[in-house]
Amino acid sequence: MDNINVLIIEDTPAESDALVKVLTANNYNIVGIATNYNEALKLFYQNPIDIAIVDVFLDGRPDGITFAETINIVPNGLKPFVFLTSSKDRQIFERAKLTKPFSFLLKPFNELEILYALEMAVEKFYGQTNVFVSEEQDTVISDDYLFIKKNKALKKVRIEDIVYIEVEDRYCNIITEAEKFVILISLTKILQFLDPDKFCQTHRNYIVNSSKIEEIIVNDNLVVLKGNHKITLSDKYKDFVKKFRILR
Amino acid sequence: MAKIRLFTTSILFFLSFFLFSQERQHVGNLMDIAIKAKIKKFKENTNFDKAQMFFRQGIWDSTLVYSMKEMSNTKNKELTDYCHYFRGISFKEKKLFNESKKEFNEISNNFQFFYKVKIKLGEIALGQNEFENALQYFEEIEKLPNVSNYDLKKSNVLHNIGLCYLHLKKFDKAEEYLFKSTKLQETEKDTLMLIGSYMDIATLYYEQYKDNQAIPYFEKAYHLSKKAKSFELRRTATKNMAVVEENRKNFPLALAYRKEYEKWKDSLNDQNKVWAIADLEKKFAVKQKQKEVNILEAENKVKAAERNGLLFSSVLLLILFGTGVYFYRQKIKNNKIILAQKNELDELNATKDKLFSIVSHDLRSSVNALKISNTKLIENLETKNFDELDVLLHNNSTIANGAYNLLDNLLNWALLQTKQTYFFQESLHLATIVQHVEYNYKPLMLNKNINYENRVSKTDYVFADLDSLKIIIRNLLDNAIKFSKENGTISIYTRTSSDDFCYLVIEDTGLGMSASTQEELLKETVLLSKKKNDDAIGTGLGMQLCKSLIHKNGGKLEIESEENVGTKIIIVLQKFKDHG
Repeated sequence: MDNINVLIIEDTPAESDALVKVLTANNYNIVGIATNYNEALKLFYQNPIDIAIVDVFLDGRPDGITFAETINIVPNGLKPFVFLTSSKDRQIFERAKLTKPFSFLLKPFNELEILYALEMAVEKFYGQTNVFVSEEQDTVISDDYLFIKKNKALKKVRIEDIVYIEVEDRYCNIITEAEKFVILISLTKILQFLDPDKFCQTHRNYIVNSSKIEEIIVNDNLVVLKGNHKITLSDKYKDFVKKFRILR
Repeated sequence: MAKIRLFTTSILFFLSFFLFSQERQHVGNLMDIAIKAKIKKFKENTNFDKAQMFFRQGIWDSTLVYSMKEMSNTKNKELTDYCHYFRGISFKEKKLFNESKKEFNEISNNFQFFYKVKIKLGEIALGQNEFENALQYFEEIEKLPNVSNYDLKKSNVLHNIGLCYLHLKKFDKAEEYLFKSTKLQETEKDTLMLIGSYMDIATLYYEQYKDNQAIPYFEKAYHLSKKAKSFELRRTATKNMAVVEENRKNFPLALAYRKEYEKWKDSLNDQNKVWAIADLEKKFAVKQKQKEVNILEAENKVKAAERNGLLFSSVLLLILFGTGVYFYRQKIKNNKIILAQKNELDELNATKDKLFSIVSHDLRSSVNALKISNTKLIENLETKNFDELDVLLHNNSTIANGAYNLLDNLLNWALLQTKQTYFFQESLHLATIVQHVEYNYKPLMLNKNINYENRVSKTDYVFADLDSLKIIIRNLLDNAIKFSKENGTISIYTRTSSDDFCYLVIEDTGLGMSASTQEELLKETVLLSKKKNDDAIGTGLGMQLCKSLIHKNGGKLEIESEENVGTKIIIVLQKFKDHG
């Protein structure tokens, strides 16, 4: 489970300091603080970034929005943004809204609000709203990561690293090669967002990362995975074997 | 020369005479009876009835009119034949011989009185000097067997034949026929015809220069004519005598005849003149009448025009009046609206001024408090009284917070009024938003030792604008803290919600308020009300702002309060429909 990488684009040191303080306290990883447009672009492309916090006004110009617009032009380059602004000026908002999806935070804000804004940005960006505030789910699934809410903050897990998922009631045990943890999500939801080419269900309660399979013992109804995890293969889901080219 | 003249006059004379005889002829004869029979048979054809009536009375124009009407209405062959006959006679009487001929030719061969038609055609031909044709017609009639059965005078036919021969210079035949006719006329004692016949015979002989034979006939005609009433006849007879005597060189006698002729001519002229004058008088009278009629018509026209003009102008006036009244009323209405708006604006301006004074007063006192506090702070710092410093700094922080909140509300109020804010309603998790707001007030409540509870349902999603919802909750929570005593309780919770609305209650155990104050607060007014306990409370701007924002989010504000017991402020918010 990794920390979330955050890029801060903010020209006022006092504000950025406050942000850094709150975010680091909540186990977010600050990859950089940009104070102008060019710096922001540089940092954005040089570092792996999960979320960007962007002040709308840099040196009195709405460069924050210009930055978002610039990123927006490149397909797939966009990341979740949180816009910071001290005024609800309509014209600025109408412009910022063009970079969809769009979430914002009005200054002054407290700790809860900034954390909430980050969660909202992730939810909206991956089109899975009302996840983190609800009591049924705590994970948003993107193509590469699971974004999991742990306590007050977000964490991420690379989907590639998952070996298998064990479903237990409303919970899912995520087993990676290094660790094991529980997330709150239903089986149907998780199947809906996981790539079916990479993950297959072998049992009512098991979802397996097909790239981690080492051996399938059909007679014993067993799937052996990396790290010597042995998973039951039920008759109902045996068909998944057909997806693999079988050597004879 | 003289002879030729005599000849022509005699012919002219004879023609007129001839026609006269025919007119008289058909009264009370066979045809009359036949016509009467037809009227009985065709009772419903009033036009025919009228036509025949006028025909018998010799009113030719009317006859023409009604016969034409009858012809256009009826398909009956018999009736059309009669009508053509009437028209033929009428035209002939009016000397329109060609028209007459046409009409006669229209009559079918089956017509009961077809022989009469022939006679008429013959007469017309004679009148138009087409003697050969005339002769043909007459001879056809003469050849008819048993002429007496027909309603005509054989003497006339014979006479006419003779006349034709005379004109064709076939004197033998002429002589024969004329004598025949004369004989018949002598037996019939038809004096007028006889005179004509004698004259024609005389003319016949005279043409042949058989003066000796001619003269006795002239004389006979002359003597007979003296008994006749017709001036014209007498005149012609006398003239003939005059010409004869002139030719015999018997001038004195000729002169006598001439004089007599002139006399007859004069008397004829006189008669004609009388007729002409009568005619003129009639025409004049008609003209006069026509003039009167014209004048009356003109008067009528003028009257009509006057009436129309009056009507038109009155209608125009009415419309003008109507529009005038309409615009006047419109103007009054506009004035009323303008007056109402002016009053409203005045009120609003007064409110704004009041708001200014209150806000600036509050800010001034806040800043003044800070100033005093800061002075104390410096004093205490100098005396190194650190316990007091802590108290003073907290005090300062509170004052700054209050001032900040006031300014924040002021800004939001201004933005709301000018509609400059970005307003976007979305699904919001109510519990989370309440947590965000309460986070800032926790230290304050802790300071005042207030027992705080948050029992907001975690399943409620509302449809609202995030920042306006935050402003609302912040203000209401701020109020709740402000009006709470030490060790009071504040709780925020949701009531069981309906399908469409979510009820967020902010309850405190503070001062509470009277019913009148509640009413004042909830009133749909832009006026700000200053509350009783001035020292503790600000402008009322916050409450007003809350009301406006709740309204804008499609919600409602309710108050349940009891003085010295506590207040429940209930915010009714729209639910987000996609999430239960």
